[in-house]
Amino acid sequence: MDSNKKYWKGLEELNRTPEFVEKNKNEFAEPIPIEDLLSGSGLSAPTPRRDFLKALGFGVGAVTLAACQKVPVHKSIPYLIKPEEVTPGVANYYSSTYEGQAILVKTREGRPIKVEGNPNDVFAKGGLSAQGQASVLDLYDANRTQDPKIDGGDAAWPEVDAFVLRELAAVAASGKAIRIVTSTINSPSTLAVIAEFTAKYPTTKHINYEAISYTGIIQANQNSFGKAVLPHYNFDKADVIVSFGADFLGTWISPEEFTRQYVSNRNSKSLASKKMSRHIQFETGMSMTGTNADNRYPVKPSEEGIALLSLYNAIAGTSLAGSKKVSNKAVDNAITLAATELKAAKGKALVVAGSNDVATQTLVNAINSLLGSYGNTIDLDNPSKQYAGNDQDFAAFVSELAAGAVGAVLFLNANPAYDYFKAKEFTDALKKVRLKISFSDHADETSLLSNVVAPNHHYLESWGDANATEGYYTVVQPTINPVYNTRQAEQSLLIWAESTTKDYYTFVRNTWNTSLLAKGGLSGQKGWEELLQKGMIKTAPVAAGSYTFSHDLNAVAQTIVDHGNSLVSGDNFELQVYQSVGMGDGKRANNPWLQEMPDPVSKVTWDNYAAMSIADIKKLKYEEGDVIKIEANGYTVELPVLAQPGQAQGTISIAVGYGRTSAGLVGNNVGKNAYPFYSYRNGTLQTTASISKFGKTGMISTLAQTQTHHSYEGRSVIREASFTEYKKNPAAGSGKEGEHKDYNKESLWDDHDRPVYDWVMAIDLNACTGCGACIVACSAENNIPVVGKDEVKRRREMHWIRIDRYYSYNDHGNSEEAVTKEDAIAKLDNFDNVSVVHQPMLCQHCDHAPCETVCPVLATVHSSEGLNQMAYNRCVGTRYCANNCPYKVRRFNWFNYWNDSRFDNYLNNEHTQLVLNPDVTTRFRGVMEKCSMCVQRIQAGKLQAKIEKRPLKDGEVKMACQQTCSANAIVFGNKNDPNSEVSKALASERTYYVLEELNVQPGIGYQVKVRNLSETEA
Amino acid sequence: MSSHSESIIREPLITGKNITYSQITDDVLRPVENMPGKAWWIGFSVASLGAMLWVVAISYTFWFGLGEWGLNKTVGWAWDITGFVWWVGIGHAGTLISAVLLLFRQNWRNSINRSAEAMTIFAVICAATYIAAHMGRPWMAAFCLPLPNQYGSLWVNWNSPLIWDVFAISTYFSVSLVFWYTGLLPDIATIRDRATGLRRRIYSVMSFGWTGSVKTWQRFETVSLILAGISTPLVLSVHTIVSMDFATSLEPGWHTTIFPPYFVAGAIFSGFAMVQTLLLVTRKVLGLENYITMFHIESMNKIILVTGSIVGVAYITEFFIAYYSGGEYEQYTFLNRFIGPYWWAGCMMYGCNVLMTQLMWSKKIRTNIAISWVLSIVVNIGMWFERFVIIVVSLHRDYIPSSWAMFYPTWVDVSVFIGSIGIFFTMFLLFLRVLPAVAMAEVKLILKSSSDQAKRKLIAEGHLDESHVDFYKKSLIKFDSVEQSDYEKV
Repeated sequence: MDSNKKYWKGLEELNRTPEFVEKNKNEFAEPIPIEDLLSGSGLSAPTPRRDFLKALGFGVGAVTLAACQKVPVHKSIPYLIKPEEVTPGVANYYSSTYEGQAILVKTREGRPIKVEGNPNDVFAKGGLSAQGQASVLDLYDANRTQDPKIDGGDAAWPEVDAFVLRELAAVAASGKAIRIVTSTINSPSTLAVIAEFTAKYPTTKHINYEAISYTGIIQANQNSFGKAVLPHYNFDKADVIVSFGADFLGTWISPEEFTRQYVSNRNSKSLASKKMSRHIQFETGMSMTGTNADNRYPVKPSEEGIALLSLYNAIAGTSLAGSKKVSNKAVDNAITLAATELKAAKGKALVVAGSNDVATQTLVNAINSLLGSYGNTIDLDNPSKQYAGNDQDFAAFVSELAAGAVGAVLFLNANPAYDYFKAKEFTDALKKVRLKISFSDHADETSLLSNVVAPNHHYLESWGDANATEGYYTVVQPTINPVYNTRQAEQSLLIWAESTTKDYYTFVRNTWNTSLLAKGGLSGQKGWEELLQKGMIKTAPVAAGSYTFSHDLNAVAQTIVDHGNSLVSGDNFELQVYQSVGMGDGKRANNPWLQEMPDPVSKVTWDNYAAMSIADIKKLKYEEGDVIKIEANGYTVELPVLAQPGQAQGTISIAVGYGRTSAGLVGNNVGKNAYPFYSYRNGTLQTTASISKFGKTGMISTLAQTQTHHSYEGRSVIREASFTEYKKNPAAGSGKEGEHKDYNKESLWDDHDRPVYDWVMAIDLNACTGCGACIVACSAENNIPVVGKDEVKRRREMHWIRIDRYYSYNDHGNSEEAVTKEDAIAKLDNFDNVSVVHQPMLCQHCDHAPCETVCPVLATVHSSEGLNQMAYNRCVGTRYCANNCPYKVRRFNWFNYWNDSRFDNYLNNEHTQLVLNPDVTTRFRGVMEKCSMCVQRIQAGKLQAKIEKRPLKDGEVKMACQQTCSANAIVFGNKNDPNSEVSKALASERTYYVLEELNVQPGIGYQVKVRNLSETEA
Repeated sequence: MSSHSESIIREPLITGKNITYSQITDDVLRPVENMPGKAWWIGFSVASLGAMLWVVAISYTFWFGLGEWGLNKTVGWAWDITGFVWWVGIGHAGTLISAVLLLFRQNWRNSINRSAEAMTIFAVICAATYIAAHMGRPWMAAFCLPLPNQYGSLWVNWNSPLIWDVFAISTYFSVSLVFWYTGLLPDIATIRDRATGLRRRIYSVMSFGWTGSVKTWQRFETVSLILAGISTPLVLSVHTIVSMDFATSLEPGWHTTIFPPYFVAGAIFSGFAMVQTLLLVTRKVLGLENYITMFHIESMNKIILVTGSIVGVAYITEFFIAYYSGGEYEQYTFLNRFIGPYWWAGCMMYGCNVLMTQLMWSKKIRTNIAISWVLSIVVNIGMWFERFVIIVVSLHRDYIPSSWAMFYPTWVDVSVFIGSIGIFFTMFLLFLRVLPAVAMAEVKLILKSSSDQAKRKLIAEGHLDESHVDFYKKSLIKFDSVEQSDYEKV
């Protein structure tokens, strides 16, 4: 049915108004703006389509471009052709030589990562100094000179050779002198190269120059016995050692060797046979050797000679001209006593002096002669060749320079522009030289003044040899291809000498083939290969002859007295300039491991300082860290004060080796240069001076010390006994002397099984000299970050092993109890009678480890082999474990030390990162770390034993700290094996455990420090 | 309750004339329903600047590493855990007031519990930020939770007090939050009923459909009681467990069995002090003198006095035990608080917490608003130093003297702490604007029985013992919100 209904949408429709009709003619009543859009008027819209497309196009393009930046690619490419000797993951060891000492270089995938002493080395028998340990880092130093240079600009080697040959020819034609200035060279091959160079250019002369000079001793031996040699000392044969300022354990001649010898008379083994040497030290500043002495007396530099004269008089029963008593009564008595003891130990006595003064050393020779030391404790017939520097030669050379008589000079491992005491005079004179060539591998102070820089290889890139002591020849072999575009200095010399042997390797081979291999009973290719394996040959030593001193001493005595008087002027302070154990002469100033190694005595890092006695500081109202201005010998420095217990009153000691201006990023402007305080007197360099003026500057410079509390507060952390007490009861001082109920015997818990191994350690406090080599060895082995001076100041150094050094005092001689508490020490008047103890402190791997129970995430747990282990990936960094560690050995990664640009002096470049040990993970920030007992070494040892299907042998696995210790103070091993070295060591009556009363059951036992104190103390 | 009359000798909990239910609602909701005043804006600006400082300092720490703080190899915790314990302690008053006092039927809690609980929650939030921030790798914080993982048996260390902390704090926070919010429901419903538009919708959702029927009220009461029962042990457990962070360790100065009760007392002490600090200002600024009366102020001061004295006894006990134990490390640690390089911190701790609070024995001081306010701040300064002394001064010189070190805060340490106070006040000031600072429903509950006007009515009825009435009148002298002249006529 159709509907007639009419529907309408509006009144307009119903009424059909004209407007409505008009509008509805079209399909759409309202006009659609499609025309507008299409006709381009749309472009005038607020956001036209074109703009949209433009924005889209630009946006996509920009993002694409931005994304085109290369993502850094870390290449990890397997060997296409695997070198025969390289197995990824397995280390290779090569024998080589570090400063005359035979070493083993550990390489991984072709890069050296660690240096260790060769167990057959005659000096330290496997031990190595901190500097030796740190030397591997220098290889990857990004501040090394990477290309040869002519007049400061990079040049290619052929250009350099052409330039040098032309210039040398010109110099030769002019007839002017050519000088090769080197630090001591004892390498037979290098000496032969220099000889060849000299043959080509006959005006050449080789000058051995050392900033640390032993000319005084060499000259004195020439005068006394007609032998200009540096003798070989046998501290192991000495029952009584008296040292006048010779830091023979730290820096003097051959410290690693002397440490080994010295400790052999004082360690557990020696004590077990009731034998212990006696060591008396007279010195100005507290040296590391002084800290180990049984008795130590502070003596001013001006009185050191007088003290020696008194000693001579007391032994010989004479009275030499000009001799008088030492002003300090206690010291005077001590000298008399020392004389008695020395005489009683005739033939087994040794007197050494650190002075570089010929007269003083002549007097020492006379004393030793009276004591029958020659042929026993001193060997003149198998001399040391470690130091041949000649002060007179160098002084003459500087005058030659000034006179303009020198046409060419070559510097090899010598940097007189920094370490010569009159550097200005030297550099001015150097300007007169036509051709100056430096072989320095750093842009050091001297190489900056040279026309030609022909950068030498690092020793780990070099061929060579050494003859550091009579009859001991070692070989240097490269362990890596040169890291930079460098060339070995000898190679350069050969080329410039236009030698027939163009290649230094062949030259070394020839040297050995013609003369050296035969000495070791070797020959030919096979002999050479054997040499490379063993690293050395030794010839039988010549029998040490006995020498008698038979010259008149009165003139010598007068010289000594005059010298002493020259240091005294009124009430002026006296200055002693010395070498610090870490920095030495300053050549390795760009090594961050060494800069961060705490000084064994002061525990200061990254600085040198003016050490003053506590009495003087109190008197002058100074505070530690006050910067003072010191003027002596016309030179001034400003250095912070350090309060040094045991420092002679009225003296200041300053270390050399600092204040480099052109060492590299790390070493520049660390501390102040003290070399200019030297003076030249009677043909040798003198290290003492009279201070003409000093006083506060008003500035304060806080020292970055790793230890700021220096007394052990009478706590059983340190246990000591005298040798007399020890002889009565070997357990003396160990806390086990009497009968005690052991409250820790009963445990609430069952002990955990240690089925095969129980790794523990024994540390002999009587063997440890505090040298700190273990700290650097540990840093190298375990990739321990360097944090820099500011962070050390904030007490955040990362070392896994540290050496705690405590001072204690005896107010009135030895009869009374030692004063060890802070408040009691503050009341003392006399700070001279100070005794020192060094205690290596590292994770104790407690069986009831307090760190383990508190970690919320089980990031630190115990292994079935008795190790306390860290799972870095699990650590969230609450630091609760470190708080709960009674030994405070845990270290927290406050920052990302390896990629934070604020720590630019260490791993922040791809070269230096090559030194990292791939077996040890690097730690991210926010993670706790600590000594792992070199777990990677334990695992490697166990694996090796497993491969060879045998049990692990005792002593096969050595900790990095233990390995480098020349004193063998650290023994590591398996407690489950009753015959292991460590079990035997821990069975000693002297063994005690630090804080054992807490029942944390530490895994490291310490042996009581024994002092051989005089019983008839004055 | 409301139908009964209360004994006349009890002091009134609500003062003022002609207070009606709607008057209470108007008074309490005035800040919620109106634009903030100048005082609020000043306070909020300062507080949010502080909060911004916190954001800057925390971002700086996360970007560069914890080394930006002054910590070192010897002192592994300092301002971080000091701040953490301080805030957790402050966060104790809320639950104590709302739960324990509810169970003990202490009706005076009704006026202060809301703010106190809010303060608790904000304080615990501040404490929690410290837990996260003090971690070396906070992005790995989930390792602290016993989550299933691909390592199978790799679990958290149930021996570690830090794990107990994780559970204690998170439980405390969640229970406090639920308790607080439950209490808020009727008040939110009140706001809802008075609001319009978007506000109404928001409050409507927040009020969980509160109808105000008898059944709702009955359930509300039951839930409150149950939650109070759950919360009560938490008041004791949280700070007990926090104290075990220290007590179960080996550190001299930490390894002390007295810590749990000592810490709980200290927490209540500092919590009440913080409530006092906040409410004395809030009461003035928001004009809540009639609801938070001198009786409340004095009661809180009494609790501060009692808990402060307990803390004092704990201090003395610690010293005695250190002497009596013969442990040389323990003895040194306690002596070191007075003679060591941080002697001034020790003096602040003992001086502020023990000596200053003893002033509260005097009624004049207890009822003096200005002095009470100053003392409440002194208490929290003292409590901050207590934690600083326990943590830093114990750590900095413990067993091995070679490792003894000083702690010096950096600007980041200081900023994080000041910033956390800024965060706290920002949250508290926002709370005052959006939620009622006084529990209206609960205050209304006692209006008929415990208010001054009710009591005056009783007096007017004249059946009371004259001496009781006099006693009552005398007790009103201290009230700053009661006109004495009103009583001259009665």
